[in-house]
Amino acid sequence: MPALKAALVERVTAQDWRAACERHAQAGGRFCGLFASRGSQGLQANCLFARSDQDHVVCAHVSSGAIDTLVDLFAAAGRDEREAHDSYGLRFAGHEPMRPLLDHPVEPEAWTVAVHGHDPYQVAVGPIHAGVIESGHFRFTVVGERILHLDLRMFYKHRGLQTAAEGRPLADGLRYAQRACAACAVTNTVAYAQACESALGLAPDRNLRRARTLLLELERLYNHLNDVSAICAGVGFAPGAMAFAAFKERAQRLNQRLTGHRFLFNTVALAAGTLHIGQGDTRAAREELKTLDEEQRRLWRELQFAGSVQDRLGDVGRLTREDAVRLGAVGPSARAAGVHQDTRSESPRLFYGEFVPATPEYASGDVAARLDIRRVELAHTFAILDELLTISFMPGGVKDLDAPPNGLGVGRVESPRGETVCAVQTDGHTTGRLHLRTGSYANWPAVAHAARENLLPDFPLINKSFELCYACADR
Amino acid sequence: MLLRHLQNVRREIALPASKRAGSLALRHVDAGSCNGCEHELAATANPYYDLQRHGLNIVASPRHADVLLVTGQITIRMVDSLRRAYEAMPEPRLVVALGDCATGCTMLGDPRQLAGPLEEILPVDLRIPGCPPAPQKIAEELLGLMRDMAEHSTTRRAFVEEAITPPTRDVEAIDTKGAKHA
Ligand code: SF4
Repeated sequence: MPALKAALVERVTAQDWRAACERHAQAGGRFCGLFASRGSQGLQANCLFARSDQDHVVCAHVSSGAIDTLVDLFAAAGRDEREAHDSYGLRFAGHEPMRPLLDHPVEPEAWTVAVHGHDPYQVAVGPIHAGVIESGHFRFTVVGERILHLDLRMFYKHRGLQTAAEGRPLADGLRYAQRACAACAVTNTVAYAQACESALGLAPDRNLRRARTLLLELERLYNHLNDVSAICAGVGFAPGAMAFAAFKERAQRLNQRLTGHRFLFNTVALAAGTLHIGQGDTRAAREELKTLDEEQRRLWRELQFAGSVQDRLGDVGRLTREDAVRLGAVGPSARAAGVHQDTRSESPRLFYGEFVPATPEYASGDVAARLDIRRVELAHTFAILDELLTISFMPGGVKDLDAPPNGLGVGRVESPRGETVCAVQTDGHTTGRLHLRTGSYANWPAVAHAARENLLPDFPLINKSFELCYACADR
Repeated sequence: MLLRHLQNVRREIALPASKRAGSLALRHVDAGSCNGCEHELAATANPYYDLQRHGLNIVASPRHADVLLVTGQITIRMVDSLRRAYEAMPEPRLVVALGDCATGCTMLGDPRQLAGPLEEILPVDLRIPGCPPAPQKIAEELLGLMRDMAEHSTTRRAFVEEAITPPTRDVEAIDTKGAKHA
């Protein structure tokens, strides 16, 4: 577990930008986001690296409007650069072709990868989907039934939440971070609060760390149960889908009882706690969770022996470990491919102790592994919740760190879908720039990659095995 | 074993099978939500509520839909698709604003990215408030809408007079049974 330190900001010239970022990667820094911002001196490019000791941020002023691309060093920076280009007009030398991400040109040639040959044809799906699904557009290039390539066009749900938060009091930013996504509301607000607190030189006390950890695990619980239900639905196994949907309902009712909201809205505050849970309520919650755990464990056995489920999972939507690392995949999908990373083990601002990332039985990177990793992680979550709930919850607060406020803070939190990174540039007590790079944002390219060479009718299942949000990628 | 488990869930919480008051085909469009309203709308199909038993079905195409269920703030990138979905529906058609975003209560975001409140874009027939509205609330409102439609439909009247359930029965059933185990 790294010590609690504020992020270290390194300011470089535009000429040194690429070399500086390369140095961080060589020193073991993990790329975890790139964004543009506009300050008094004009455009600025910012790149975030997570290192075992401390988070690092490389910042460069860009007076000419263009800066060297990093996309050949970190494939994961592809979408980040496209977003910085579309929303801030920042150009990246060497990023060719620069396909639009936020801008939605009509001609598919502008935003899809060209595929040549006699047989390929395109299948377009969305933005409105057939069921109760968020909006987004998928364009498959297919031969027969096999997917050659998948282009995603997202940002249909772009509400401009990040820019809307600018210039507002820091505490207001919580509303914008929360609105990004209901299913990751706690993660996003905790990441935002951590970023602000880090920028202000504050650290949460024990009570606040415990309370936020409880909320994060309650969020993971209902999300993972939902994901298992979704995978069952994806193979048309209605009994499993319904059973796990009922578990999710119970988890959400527990949220309601403990915090007053089924999605745990408005439970995270800046530099303060909100949670008051007495001994009686924690005891009742523990009891309920114990029964829920026992029941869901029994049903896992059923799933394991349901041939019509198991036959559909193996070798479908495979993401190799190398691709997962290269594309910057995070969370359960990355761990299912054998990537041993979980931000909970690097979270001194939370209450995870010596947390060890989960590994599935076989890290095969396919739908089967992504289902199995949920089983393992659900067990961890139940265990963490059980331990946390042995004592009552007090609101808690913050204490001063020795570090002086440095105007830029980073928060990293493991959401149910993987690491969510929030960077906040403060302007006194207002938000200068808010950047939220969620687990879903990081993982969408991996979905497109995992779909390749699979059958088109398997895509809904592959998609559900990642179960990403559109809302918190589009913001 | 799985099915037995599900049976228990039903026995505990399910509604008594009610007499049908017709059916409604619903088409959902996410016009820029935070995904909360989607989760709760999807939850109305879970064994605790199981709206399908009342003839409320989510359909895959607007061409088959009586009701357009709209969630979220209307973004500039979704507004055209939303209009097209509405235009593709046969008449008579209804528009339901699901959640505070769609009802225009809590707009949050950059005005340059938002197309404006739903009611300025489509005629709204029913508003279901909440952020997000709980599945129970969604169930109550949609069942109420279905009964209202049945009552006002001349073609269905004869059938409805026979079969319609008293307006509050289903709702109460959800209330009491749902709450007892909440
Ligand atoms: S009403 Fe609330 S839950 Fe529904 S989309 Fe809006 S913010 Fe999300």
